[in-house]
Amino acid sequence: MPKPVLRGLIIVAFFALTAFVLVPAYVPRPAFIPGFAPPPDMWPRTVALAGIVLGALALLFAFTRERPADEPVETDGSSPARMVARFAGLMVAFVLFLVAIPLLGFLVATMLLTLCIVLMTGERGNHVWIALLAFGGPILLQLFFHSALGTQFPKGVLTKPFGF
Amino acid sequence: MFHEILSALVAVATLQNLLIMIAGIWGGVIVGAIPGMTGTMAVTLALPFTFYMEPVPSILLLVALYKGSTYGGSVSAILIKTPGTASAACTALDGYPLAQQGKAGKALNMALYSSVIGDFISNLSLIFFAAPLAVLALRIGPPEFFMLMLFALTTVAGVSGSSLLLGLVSAALGLLLATVGEDMYGSFRFAFTPDMQAGLSIAPVLIGLFALPELIKLVVMRVAKKEEAATLGAQHVTREEFMGSLKAILKGSVIGSVLGAIPGIGPSSAAFFSYGEAQRSSKKGANFGKGELEGIAASESANNGACGATMIPLLALGVPGDVITGVMLGAFMIQGLTPGPLLFQTNIHEVYMLLIGMLVSSVLLFFAGKVTMHMFSKVSHIPQTLLTPLVLLLCIFGIYSIASSTFDVAVLLVMGVVGFGMFLLNIPAAPFLIAFILGPMLEENLRRALAISRGDVSVLLSSPITWIFAVLILFVLTITVRREIQKTKTERRLAQ
Repeated sequence: MPKPVLRGLIIVAFFALTAFVLVPAYVPRPAFIPGFAPPPDMWPRTVALAGIVLGALALLFAFTRERPADEPVETDGSSPARMVARFAGLMVAFVLFLVAIPLLGFLVATMLLTLCIVLMTGERGNHVWIALLAFGGPILLQLFFHSALGTQFPKGVLTKPFGF
Repeated sequence: MFHEILSALVAVATLQNLLIMIAGIWGGVIVGAIPGMTGTMAVTLALPFTFYMEPVPSILLLVALYKGSTYGGSVSAILIKTPGTASAACTALDGYPLAQQGKAGKALNMALYSSVIGDFISNLSLIFFAAPLAVLALRIGPPEFFMLMLFALTTVAGVSGSSLLLGLVSAALGLLLATVGEDMYGSFRFAFTPDMQAGLSIAPVLIGLFALPELIKLVVMRVAKKEEAATLGAQHVTREEFMGSLKAILKGSVIGSVLGAIPGIGPSSAAFFSYGEAQRSSKKGANFGKGELEGIAASESANNGACGATMIPLLALGVPGDVITGVMLGAFMIQGLTPGPLLFQTNIHEVYMLLIGMLVSSVLLFFAGKVTMHMFSKVSHIPQTLLTPLVLLLCIFGIYSIASSTFDVAVLLVMGVVGFGMFLLNIPAAPFLIAFILGPMLEENLRRALAISRGDVSVLLSSPITWIFAVLILFVLTITVRREIQKTKTERRLAQ
């Protein structure tokens, strides 16, 4: 499917979902509204309807206008499947990071995420720098924020006995 | 007034403020010099630190970062032909050829002198024009404010990215996201989780939207640029060379100041406009693009010239002209200051401190640029594969420290993915952010206007000022659509 068509469809679908499903379900109207003040769902509904119109225009132009092709996205030449796999891997890393915070604590979770991300960027040399960044970086930042600004970082259920 | 300026001068001239400004300028220059790191990133990453500072030093830090990074962008543009910031793209056209001729130091010096002069003139324009504009703005009510913000939003949507339509879609997404949380009458909207009842904080949304997509791009597409940096070589700009470029510097400074004050235009467009104008009017116009100092002078004076001027609509009207001033608006609000006409009445001392601090930071920019010139070629060599994860680390710790909230960290990551999705779909991010920040004010003014007029929508066109803004909105829409049609025709002709 051409990119402009897909884009138009995504825009229309998102704003339609908001206007016809999310606004009625998640924007409750209060029993009493003072004076002539518009209800709370007026603005999100208006914006969502405007979004549908804009998306429909984008879709219309995608079919009718012969627009010049979008600039190709610069890549390392990997196949689309491989890039999708990398993206999925990154999403898994993000989710695992959020899940790991209450279990392993903020410090360890951040160390693991940083190490994971550095490796995911394809960096394999500079071992010392990778170690410094993944392990030294979070320790330094935690020390800074804790001592200078008094931030209390969450400790993990599993790592609490070790102090972090 | 003289007494107030004097007392503000005394308040600014503390060691703490000077150190903050030096750190900001220096940090900004370094960040701007690193390809892939932008001024927006520098300002957004510093935002969490400002929570713990006094209002004026915190804004001065952000302004100093903005100025430093705008100049710093020219460094990698000159040394490795990779503009550190978009506004330095024109600088690369003449800077890199000069570096190849062994005159990188000369080019960097000219960029520094032009940036400092442009910045100083821009700050003067801010001092002279912000207050009168604020006085004028005091006479306008909710319908006028609504139309003004709509105008700012339309302009930003029009000039960001390649399509007005996609700019407007981006703005609509930002407006919608801004409705999450409690509204002005106490209703909870889109509160899918208890954390969302308080709404989404500005910091994780904007940092996620602007800093994280770079990381995701690096992981998914793995495009890390590696360029060889030129050595500094000949350094001094002679008196003749400086005087020969002075006209371009002054013209660029004025162009930057004027264009910077218009919401949505910003430093990049000012630099391109000034470069084109200098090339057109210069006797050496044919040498532009081959290593002409005048080209660097025109581009750099205009992009730094726009920095101070972008603060005019922000301070006087409370309307951010670009992403960085949008971040600053967030910083003002976090500090309990509301930019706009009332700021000049309720916090005049802070306003004068800010204006004087900005003038002082122009001088500091000169010294920071001079001192750090020799380390520049090393800074430009930091591999992105290490730098970008470091940015993520700073983002995560910075965001968590603001409210000790894991939910905010989750918002940061989700917004990074949203930003990446927008990048893939060619939807510009700037209108999204400006709309997210202006959204609550836009809605509040609309609802107030409708409440006052008993639900009559024609209140939005009930005064000459609202009509002026309506005409301006139509004007912006018309010229943007016209420009797009012309561009499409030209591209089609070239393809044939």
